[in-house]
Amino acid sequence: MIQMSNITKRFGEQTVLSGVTFKVQEKEIFGMLGPSGAGKTTIINILTNQLSADSGTHSIGVSPRETGLMLDEDGLFVRLSCLENLNIFADIYGISRRKSREALKSVGLELAAKKAVGQLSKAMRQRLALARAILNRPRVLFLDEPTGGLDPATARGIHKLILGLRERGSTIFLTTHNMDEAVRLCDRVVLLHMGVIVEQGAPAEICKRHEAVKTVPDLEEVFIKMTGVELE
Amino acid sequence: MRSVKAIFSKQLRDMFKNRTVLIQFVVFPLVAFAFTEIVAKPNGSIPDSMFVTMFASIYAGVTVLTTTAGTIAEDRERKSLRFLIMAGMKPYQYMLGVGGVMIAASLLVAVVFGATGGFHGVNFVRFVVVLVLGSVASSLLGATLGIVSKNQQAAAAMAMPLGMILGFTPLLAMFSQTVKKLFCIFYTMQVDMLVSDFSADFTTPATVIIVNIAVFAALFAFAYNKKGLS
Ligand SMILES: Nc1ncnc2c1ncn2[C@@H]1O[C@H](COP(=O)(O)OP(=O)(O)OP(=O)(O)O)[C@@H](O)[C@H]1O
Ligand SMILES: [Mg+2]
Repeated sequence: MIQMSNITKRFGEQTVLSGVTFKVQEKEIFGMLGPSGAGKTTIINILTNQLSADSGTHSIGVSPRETGLMLDEDGLFVRLSCLENLNIFADIYGISRRKSREALKSVGLELAAKKAVGQLSKAMRQRLALARAILNRPRVLFLDEPTGGLDPATARGIHKLILGLRERGSTIFLTTHNMDEAVRLCDRVVLLHMGVIVEQGAPAEICKRHEAVKTVPDLEEVFIKMTGVELE
Repeated sequence: MRSVKAIFSKQLRDMFKNRTVLIQFVVFPLVAFAFTEIVAKPNGSIPDSMFVTMFASIYAGVTVLTTTAGTIAEDRERKSLRFLIMAGMKPYQYMLGVGGVMIAASLLVAVVFGATGGFHGVNFVRFVVVLVLGSVASSLLGATLGIVSKNQQAAAAMAMPLGMILGFTPLLAMFSQTVKKLFCIFYTMQVDMLVSDFSADFTTPATVIIVNIAVFAALFAFAYNKKGLS
């Protein structure tokens, strides 16, 4: 479904991605793991055509309208309410505004529907950004650190939602620097370090290859072994 | 079309919730009304419509310019535009939606100004049309500033003084022939001329305003092609 082949990206002198190659299968939860600055967001920006690569090819197999997107900057309209924010997008997609309410409900924000975004807590904003990302029932969903900076309870709620979306047939591409999250959610992961893929496969498979006995937290140990760097 | 409507509704709602913007739209008609009732009408030596024409050009120069620039700069800075475009909205649809609200608001403001100034019949229509044309010019210029500026703050820093210059020159021109000659190529001067003297020649000022609109549209297109919306 999603694929990237030999992608290289430079910002001035700095090479941010080099020779990045991977494939994501349909209906898979695919995790891009790496420490801060590894190039995870840059990969999402390239896949969603917000940024062009210097060389290499990529595709996501669906039109932009069939994708959902959640980035570290949420782009919400701060003076408008949660519901108004979603309704704008429902109107652009040409889908019923009823879907806005459904999406709010699925992230547990139905009681805050009339609240202005500027008055929401960070976690609530993040949930609203997720609601907007899934509003059009996207076939491909990009989530850039969907649980970054959230409390464990909210994070678990989001995990459940992500698993539910996959059940419904969405392909999910997420980035994280949380090993635990990657192991719990992802069918396959890529370990990214300084713009280079150092390992990829199913979490259990990777651990086996590196002779780790348990899956958690040993994926982390694999990462440290491969890069000499800790994730967080 | 539905995207344009979505942006139109977003912009309209946002304007009502953004106090700084709302005040700008209300304050000039309000002040014009007060000055007309308290100063102009009781005073026989100045025309009843003097303050209306004065504040109408200030409105067209300042309010529409700064609001358009601020809106676009904010939506860019907060990355809202990115998400809209990712959802399938086309940049021109965004512009039509935002511009549409500016025109609609200007239409309303022009009617209020017109009523305050006591214009009737053809003169009323002419006043409204001229003010709306001035607002079109202002929103195009504002949109250009919104695109080229780094962030919202930078947009305000450019739009505010420019709006002041454009909006207040008709006032200064009353006292200075030099200002009048120098700035007559700008639309706010022509708007002022057209609405303060209905017996004056219509074609030349109207042409100047249309040329202003064309130039700003070209500037906007150039900026847009260079920088895009995000
Ligand atoms: N627009 C840009 N201009 C210059 N350098 C950039 C730009 N965007 C990203 N970079 C650099 O590219 C590198 C990778 O950035 P990226 O945002 O992709 O990392 P990340 O893996 O998403 O990190 P984090 O976990 O902190 O979000 C960083 O060193 C960053 O400074
Ligand atoms: Mg990132």
